[in-house]
Amino acid sequence: MKLSPAQIWRIRESQYRLVITVCESCGKKSAFKRSVCPFCGSGNVKHMESEGLGKVLEVTKVLYRWASSDERPPSLVAVVELDEGVKVVGEIVGVGTDEEVKEGTRVEAVLRRYASDDPYGVIYYGIKFKPLKTA
Amino acid sequence: MGAYIVGGAVAKVDRHFDRGYRDLAYEVTKECSGCLDVDYIVVSSALPELTAHQVDLGTHIAQWLGRRVPVIRVESGETSGLAAVDLAASLVASGRGRKVLVLGVEKVTDYPTYTANYFYSLMLDYEFEVLRGVSPPAYAALAMKELMKDGVRRECFSSWAVRMHENAASIPHAMLRFKISYDSFKDSQVLAEPLTLHDSFALGDGAAAVVVSNSPDPKASSVEILFSAAEVELPAYSRERISDLNASSKLLKLSLERYGLDLRRVAVELHDSYTPYPIAILRSLGYLDSECDLSELEYLNVSGGLKARGHPIGATGIYQVYEVFKLLTDKLGGKTSPSDYGLVHSMSGPDNVSRVLILRR
Repeated sequence: MKLSPAQIWRIRESQYRLVITVCESCGKKSAFKRSVCPFCGSGNVKHMESEGLGKVLEVTKVLYRWASSDERPPSLVAVVELDEGVKVVGEIVGVGTDEEVKEGTRVEAVLRRYASDDPYGVIYYGIKFKPLKTA
Repeated sequence: MGAYIVGGAVAKVDRHFDRGYRDLAYEVTKECSGCLDVDYIVVSSALPELTAHQVDLGTHIAQWLGRRVPVIRVESGETSGLAAVDLAASLVASGRGRKVLVLGVEKVTDYPTYTANYFYSLMLDYEFEVLRGVSPPAYAALAMKELMKDGVRRECFSSWAVRMHENAASIPHAMLRFKISYDSFKDSQVLAEPLTLHDSFALGDGAAAVVVSNSPDPKASSVEILFSAAEVELPAYSRERISDLNASSKLLKLSLERYGLDLRRVAVELHDSYTPYPIAILRSLGYLDSECDLSELEYLNVSGGLKARGHPIGATGIYQVYEVFKLLTDKLGGKTSPSDYGLVHSMSGPDNVSRVLILRR
């Protein structure tokens, strides 16, 4: 078993619910549920849950092979700015053949598979993003 | 009490299918005068747990070399090499050691490339970046796109790679000792649009050694370790821009100002894992405009850099230090540094941590 159920469970609030950290000292917001503000080092932080909506700031189509092709086919990876003003990185999925993802594309968070051990093993799930349907 | 580099040796960066960690370590120390006349060993290696199933590599290498002296292994991602030299300098300065062998060694080519790529990707945050599908070339591609929006042309990044291959052609220990042209990029495999394989470092096995002493060697050339500093940067996704390599820029700027140095006359080895990074750093220091004319930077990455000398991850920093040592005390690629000072820069991932070392002859 290469994946640990406990490891993904411990970070469930960041991976499944997009909890973000708000620093009471410097006022800055940061991605994920953190005990310490990465900007100023203060432990005086609170947490809030993102609505899961945002826009693409920059995107790239990744063809780099860093696992077998079955495990990691070509993907779109983007920096997404959430409406709460926090930046995260992640994959863009569910893009229709007639859609183009580019700077400014509105996206919403969805729960998708990250990795799996083997056909009968642990599966990691987490947040990815898909283009928001505007119609 | 100071710290001095008094010798060293390097193995060719390559795919050494016939040699493991121990073989490479033996080979490089055998070629190095004074490398085994030491009272402390620091081994720099980033990936042995993943690539060779080996914990406590330092001890096993010391046993293999027949040494009974204290040994410690240093791991700090791609900056492991400079971290190891920093530790060695502290050991001799504090009196814990008289002479320290700093041995960088890495084996990365025993698996299919995609497996090695995965190991390398673990330089990033596993839970918050790797699991989310973010890999080092994805960040480099995003940084490249940002720079292109600033007006940096595609040819600028290509020119870095062309120059590095030109330099490596005359370096015996370089992995890619051939020239490439701008046309090479047209057919180059895309890693993450617009970044191609030609914008990426060459991944190879390697071993390099330097001896750090508490005094200059009266019988051999020595250089002083004048300055060593490191800084941790925000995760790339939290910055204003991914191409803001603030830790690297800050440390290099501080180094240049403190010692009144000009990169046009100083030997410098810059960490160039992907072409957008050195371009971003040199632009932030005021040495490059959007035309990216590198011609005045004669002593920049004489080795060919990570791009063409190659990048044996945890050993790379020791290669860089050895190369600047050679430029200051002898010759490398037919060149000798006109300045008494030399700089080495290393960073892990997209500037997650940056380290700078200044050597003086």
